[in-house]
Amino acid sequence: MRAFGYTVAGSPAEAVRIAASTPESTFVAGGTDLLNLMRDGAEAHDHLVDVNRLGIDGVAVDSRRLRVGGSARMRQVAEHPRVRREFPVLSEALLASASPQVRNMASIGGNLLQRTRCGYFRDAASACNKRVPGSGCPAITGHNRGHAILGGGDHCIATHPSDLAVALIALDATVHLLGPGGERAVPIADFYLLPGSTPDRETVMRPGELITWVDVPRTALAGRSRYLKLRDRATFEFAVVSVAAALRTSGRVVQDVRLAFGGVGTRPWRDTQVEAALRGRPLTGQAIAEAGRLLVRDAEPYEGNRFKVELVQRALVSILSDLGGLR
Amino acid sequence: MSGLVGQGVARVDGRAKVTGAARYAADNEVAGVLHGFLVMSTIARGEVVEIDTGAALAHPGVVAVYTHADMPRLKLPDFPFNRRFIPMQDTRVHHHGQPVAYVLAQTLEQAQEAANLVKVRYRAEHPVARMADVLDEAFLPEKFRNRPNEAARGDAAAALEQAEVRIDQTYSSPMQHHNPIEPHTTTAVWEDGTLILYESTQGVVFARNAVAFAFGKGRESVRVISPYLGGGFGAKGPTYPHTLLTAAAAQLAGRPVKLVLSRAQMYTSNGHRAEYRHHLRLGATRQGMLTAIVDTSTAQVTRVEENIYNGSDSTLRLYACPNVHVRQLGVRLDLPTSSYMRSPETTAHFGLETAMDELSYELGIDPVELRIRNHTEVDQQSETGQAYAGKQLLECYRAAAEAFGWARRSPRPGVTRDGDEYVGWGMATETHTYGVIPSQVHLAIGPDGRATLRAATQEIGTGTYTVLTQVVAEGLGMPLGHVTTLLGDTAYPEASLSAGSSTMPSVAGPAADAARRARDAVIALAVADPRSPLLGVPAEEVVTENGHLFARGDRDRRDTYRNVVTRHGSAVEVTGRQDNTAGHSFGAVFLEVRIQPRLGRLRVTRVVTAHDLGRVLNRRTARGQVIGGVTWGIGFALMEHTMVDPNTARVVNPNLSTYLVPVCADTPSVEALFVDRSEPDGKLLGVRGFGETPGTGVPAAIGNAIYHAIGRRLRDVPFTPDKLL
Repeated sequence: MRAFGYTVAGSPAEAVRIAASTPESTFVAGGTDLLNLMRDGAEAHDHLVDVNRLGIDGVAVDSRRLRVGGSARMRQVAEHPRVRREFPVLSEALLASASPQVRNMASIGGNLLQRTRCGYFRDAASACNKRVPGSGCPAITGHNRGHAILGGGDHCIATHPSDLAVALIALDATVHLLGPGGERAVPIADFYLLPGSTPDRETVMRPGELITWVDVPRTALAGRSRYLKLRDRATFEFAVVSVAAALRTSGRVVQDVRLAFGGVGTRPWRDTQVEAALRGRPLTGQAIAEAGRLLVRDAEPYEGNRFKVELVQRALVSILSDLGGLR
Repeated sequence: MSGLVGQGVARVDGRAKVTGAARYAADNEVAGVLHGFLVMSTIARGEVVEIDTGAALAHPGVVAVYTHADMPRLKLPDFPFNRRFIPMQDTRVHHHGQPVAYVLAQTLEQAQEAANLVKVRYRAEHPVARMADVLDEAFLPEKFRNRPNEAARGDAAAALEQAEVRIDQTYSSPMQHHNPIEPHTTTAVWEDGTLILYESTQGVVFARNAVAFAFGKGRESVRVISPYLGGGFGAKGPTYPHTLLTAAAAQLAGRPVKLVLSRAQMYTSNGHRAEYRHHLRLGATRQGMLTAIVDTSTAQVTRVEENIYNGSDSTLRLYACPNVHVRQLGVRLDLPTSSYMRSPETTAHFGLETAMDELSYELGIDPVELRIRNHTEVDQQSETGQAYAGKQLLECYRAAAEAFGWARRSPRPGVTRDGDEYVGWGMATETHTYGVIPSQVHLAIGPDGRATLRAATQEIGTGTYTVLTQVVAEGLGMPLGHVTTLLGDTAYPEASLSAGSSTMPSVAGPAADAARRARDAVIALAVADPRSPLLGVPAEEVVTENGHLFARGDRDRRDTYRNVVTRHGSAVEVTGRQDNTAGHSFGAVFLEVRIQPRLGRLRVTRVVTAHDLGRVLNRRTARGQVIGGVTWGIGFALMEHTMVDPNTARVVNPNLSTYLVPVCADTPSVEALFVDRSEPDGKLLGVRGFGETPGTGVPAAIGNAIYHAIGRRLRDVPFTPDKLL
């Protein structure tokens, strides 16, 4: 890791200003991912701008929405009583993430921007199109058990690792950004990019932009949400497959449903066609099975992750059956 | 006697460890030390063509960058140096992550960054990374440490052919890494031609001998110091290149050098459990008596090394069977050499104990009953029919089965449900060999009445300081707090490697012998001393308790260690010796798993073990070994897996984020029972080696429980969720 400079910013505007005027700089909050990336040589920065003291670390719920600051800690959000009650999928997704120690340190903005756990990306001596564009993707012919079956291609099949992002997508959250060009708001469904031929670009964020707030609409649907995470050990491990679901039924009929998936896509995965296939129909095993088949219609599995095609459909059955009271 | 031995005495070094007072190898502050960092090869096979050190040398704080052109020529030591080449002696690259340059700088960070700036040009050849690609090249390697890789008794092929019932299956396990939390580290200090190494090693004596040989020095010219280890698990048993290279770099620089391997570097520098395929064929009678075992295993070796570390010891010895044929084959890959990893015999034992479960279902005989029918009290490999002395395995089966409630088990697979979980119960025998290494200890009782034991064995984390202190305190009749144990320094008498479960069977006897000799010497002084109230009391009539010496018949005639030795005017010093013999420890593990097969979810929810380890010296540290072993077994069964890229032969997951080991939530509480009877052959204290026995049966027991739960037989670890769907 090469030596780097460090400045503590006092406001969002100051943070953005410092970053814009300092070459090769980036923001740091908890540093739980960034410092590992820098130590491993997967990222290099000459300057870090500390965004822990910008006054954007609150968690508040009003009649319309939940607002979470970009520098709020994962633990704060996960343990907030109203988040637990009114946005259970967020709390569950956060509590299923990392370890208590990491959740005490890691920020919401950093969580959304954490980098993939693909071993080839994190190994500076390996080829990786995401880290060194044009160098190739060894995962396609190598170890790809943790990789995506949806949204990949010849350039990259890495999954996005955030559980929180999956939950936020299911709840139609909005990401607020501040940058040299001013403020803007991006629906989280549009926030992450497919790798295409530029897997090094993971989000729509422009250079020097900072996540200031994340807003989540307060709806009856959000209160009836859950997160299911399947993984290779009991805790402190990323998802093999995860599902965030919110469901509102009237009788047996699905009034509204939101679904998002982790561990299977090159970005936190939402497929509105799958939701549409369930909406207005009685929630039956057959309906869920059909929705699951729709979800994986374009799946491109590889040697190590073929099982995810089946597992993600079963995860969908499990979470919707629980939410819909089918068992 | 104060009855200290056997008690669950708390660790005498516990406070030092949890407060940071214990000085581990890399904690030593050596004046003028330079920080080393290794530059590792980024090809798996080929040659170094050119190394450009210019940018690295220009980096602030960098003192030197050494390559193969600079390094002194070293002599290749035999085992415990288990590689057949020393890196940086020539241009050849044998595997990814092999040292090709050595950077020295004022700070660690400067050395790390400068290592990134060293530019190495290679001539690369295509590596072979997967056993599956070259299985047809398997061969029978030469014997290793005097053990042949083929062994047979009777006529296994013919007996298998004639067997009434046969099991014929293949079991497999992947590469695994030890991952001690304390990384490997060496600090090398040359002083007037002698070398001091502050090292994290399971064997200070082994390390000293290997280093002295490599540098062509007498053993007296090298001192290795290693008072504490933050885990070893076999990774720190052999001596590895980084130790030799650090000593060489310190010699070249004329200054002390400290090296701490990075976590990623530990995946190519210190051995691993070999990838392993195990073809087992069992023949048995309808009544379940084994008549034949044909055991052919294949493990990865390298192009330059062909050592097999995972022996089929349990196939050869655990069960009564007249016809056995074992062959341990190797295939050459372009990867670093494997080595011993806790517990080496688990690797083959997983297959045997799974095959026994399969046989039990084939025959309709309870798996415990099948093992009892094949129990042996005779060493199956002994031509003279040598009987085991005091083997308590049958008692282990009985005690663990009863505590677990095994009698309530319905043998039918896939029928026990609890909510949406299937419940499965499985069991396996546990066994491992233990070694004995001739050891001596030095014991001194000073004028302060306190005793100090010195031995060049190690505290690997299992409680060696504590248990030896108990043995000496009991033997002397002294309070525990009056005895200090000093370990991990070749300045002390040569004692056992902390590997192969050999520490206690090797060193407990000499410690007890030393205590007896020192006690006798002090009593002899007292009864001959006109100033002692014990003058004239027959020596055998003197008892020692709590630091006092009493006349047995008249407790008012008393003296103390302190007074006797003070009047004597100098410390009483003795050397303890006691030979012992290697052997086996045994046990049984019973456990429960709960599975949601639809989602591939599995939990191990209950574990009961019973072990026969001879006499238990400390119930608390013994239980610690059981908990650790069971946790290792869960990792082996469910998650541990080093992934190597098939095209580049580079490790893909060299970190604890992606190389999974169990966390607390994966590990249930363990009910650990001990038979606790002295081993008749274990001289003086009735001690056996134990550390590696617990856990050996756990991977098979988990697989057997999975079969019982859902009727699916898994033979390839790790049993990840995809295999349960």
